[in-house]
Amino acid sequence: MRLEDFLLMRHELLLTLIAIIILIAEIFTDDFKKQGIRPLSIILMAIVTIVGFLPAPTGTLFGGMYQATDMRLMMKNILNIGALIVFIQSASWLKSDDNQNKVSEFFLLLISTLIGMNFMISSGDFLMFYLGLELATIPIAALAAYDRYSNKSSEAGIKLILISALSSGILLYGISMIYGTVGSVYFDKVSVAYGATPLQIMSFIFFFTGMAFKISIVPFHLWTADVYEGAPVNVTSYLSVVSKGAAVFIFSIMLVTVFQNIAAMWKDVMWITAAITMTLGNLFAMRQNNLKRFLAFSSISQAGFIMLGIIGGSELGMAAVVYYILVYIFSNLGAFGVIAAISNASGGKENMSDYDGLYKTNPALSLTLTLALFSLAGIPPVAGFFGKFFLFTAVAEKGYWWLLTIAVLNTIISLYYYLLPVKAMFINKAETSIAYFKSDGWTKVGLIICVAGMVIVGFASVIFEYIRTLSFGL
Amino acid sequence: MKDMSVALKFIPLDHYVLLCIILFSIGVLGVLYRRNTIIIIMCIELMLNSVNLLLTAFSVYHSDPTGQIFVFFIMVVAAAEVAVGLAILVMMKRNIDSVDINLLSRLKW
Amino acid sequence: MTFLFYLLAAVAILSALMVVFSRSPINSVIFLIICFLSIAGHYILLNAQFLAVVHIIVYTGAIMVLFLFVIMLLNLNTSNEPHKSQLTRITAVITGGLLLLVLIAATKDAVLIQAKNPADYNIGLVKQIGQTLFKQFLLPFEISSVLFISAMVGAVMLGKKDSKKN
Repeated sequence: MRLEDFLLMRHELLLTLIAIIILIAEIFTDDFKKQGIRPLSIILMAIVTIVGFLPAPTGTLFGGMYQATDMRLMMKNILNIGALIVFIQSASWLKSDDNQNKVSEFFLLLISTLIGMNFMISSGDFLMFYLGLELATIPIAALAAYDRYSNKSSEAGIKLILISALSSGILLYGISMIYGTVGSVYFDKVSVAYGATPLQIMSFIFFFTGMAFKISIVPFHLWTADVYEGAPVNVTSYLSVVSKGAAVFIFSIMLVTVFQNIAAMWKDVMWITAAITMTLGNLFAMRQNNLKRFLAFSSISQAGFIMLGIIGGSELGMAAVVYYILVYIFSNLGAFGVIAAISNASGGKENMSDYDGLYKTNPALSLTLTLALFSLAGIPPVAGFFGKFFLFTAVAEKGYWWLLTIAVLNTIISLYYYLLPVKAMFINKAETSIAYFKSDGWTKVGLIICVAGMVIVGFASVIFEYIRTLSFGL
Repeated sequence: MKDMSVALKFIPLDHYVLLCIILFSIGVLGVLYRRNTIIIIMCIELMLNSVNLLLTAFSVYHSDPTGQIFVFFIMVVAAAEVAVGLAILVMMKRNIDSVDINLLSRLKW
Repeated sequence: MTFLFYLLAAVAILSALMVVFSRSPINSVIFLIICFLSIAGHYILLNAQFLAVVHIIVYTGAIMVLFLFVIMLLNLNTSNEPHKSQLTRITAVITGGLLLLVLIAATKDAVLIQAKNPADYNIGLVKQIGQTLFKQFLLPFEISSVLFISAMVGAVMLGKKDSKKN
């Protein structure tokens, strides 16, 4: 191993470096200087995000255990963008009195989950995959319980850690069966030797179930709404966007490469679960009044849509999945950013009825939320439309017409409920709507990035074309 | 110690597989059966241990040390998981004065 | 050897059942320790000496002590824990039984698995494991250090006392 080989791992190494810098800054500064940790972490994260886009060599390390291809680097960059936006959005929330003495912990835990996700995406064997997955979930559970004196927050934390431990147990059982039948944990060896004996099919089902818990596919979604509602808004946004995105990325990579021999089988399983996930997520989202629960169910149904691209399975399908996640990061973080800003300014108002008449008092925030919801629903001018369009194309290309019909019907249903908050903000009259407030600089920057992302990613077709050129070499 | 004989010479592999299945099922049963959060975490540990035993049996059967390394890392992760899980559990006890998982079931559709 | 296997297996299964069905949490912990010790016995039977030692140190030594400590600290040792409703419990038992049946049916051809390498019963020795760990699996070893740091930070963050609030 030469020194240049470390360049392949620059995402992980840089993130580890800034984690160490923040740790040292926390230990060796007094209370006054700790104020500087917030801007320091955000600036460091921004630097890492930008450095990630610089061209870099590709290759494999540690005997195929670590794989760096252009596509995987792109996925990591997308996750970095998401994490950066979450960092910026949480800056003003972390300034409050309750959170002031655990600022660096927040950043440290988020960065370590990001390290885990990056290693997970680059993994070339099940051991690295498992370690990355755990590193990406354990600290998040601690973060979900960040609000130490709130019942809901501790509920979210205990549910998340129990579900993640249970699903890892199921996942590991599948992995151990795969190891038993194949005799190796390396992806390339497993993909060659994988057949369709009963044992292997069962191991795949266990593996699928474990991952379905992590991505919250119906029927393994029941934890999602409670955890999303209980965790602090900024943690929820990270959980629903970056964590979910990372799990989807590695899941699609593994389905297409490791389990390619049984593609016909997993496509059937995915077909059914995708249809149920979209439909149930939508139906439940309609009934929600709390906006965080609302977005939780909406994110479940979005997971169903993302699965369409994986079923497409082609190079177009992979590109559509990655592109959709990029769009989803901007739209969902835009929506969560507005909800977080309003919740922080109004003392925890998160219900849809609280948003009546918001346009009169806070027009800028209302417009941002509207744009984000339009993008999630897939209404033409915004990027979400193109994302859904490419996913549908990928499925249609392979001739899954029934699935396409279900997906289109679900898009129409989702239009209805995505417009409910918009109606509340613009049309509903209220005696006491949330008073006008001035967001601070960080929040504004975060929302501006999201809005810019939603518009630019939609109109600049280069981005999709670029992702498409990458998706040859997974 | 090197010339210690190995049980797999005498006992077929599927006995180990069966034992691990039974332990795993008991773990799943416990997770579904009990209300006490700390016992649910213990049952998840039981599931992880059945996986560990299975991996070791396969590893010895294939004469490939990878499986045993995997077990080592599962132990490492389990330790970290339990540390965080119990910390959250202590917090939950402090907040709602109970470790009963049913008190948390507000599952609205 | 065969007798030892069946003895340890019986102990493991019985104590695992007792973990689920015993009334007080302390008893559950004790039975779980017995179960883990018998699993360590299985490791020794398989000549996985390194794992046997690590298993006893990590699981029975560290993790179970942590459990006991929390139970003592929070005074959770009440045996009058309310049970789930009868229906839920029956459903749980049926689900567990069905899982068991399906798994047994699916794994009944496990005997057909071909061993990948010629038999070498020394792979579980500390020397062999150490060499594999630090040559082939160096990267995961380093990642686990990040995992421990983040778990430590998380646990400390949750347990830390607020200076302002009381």
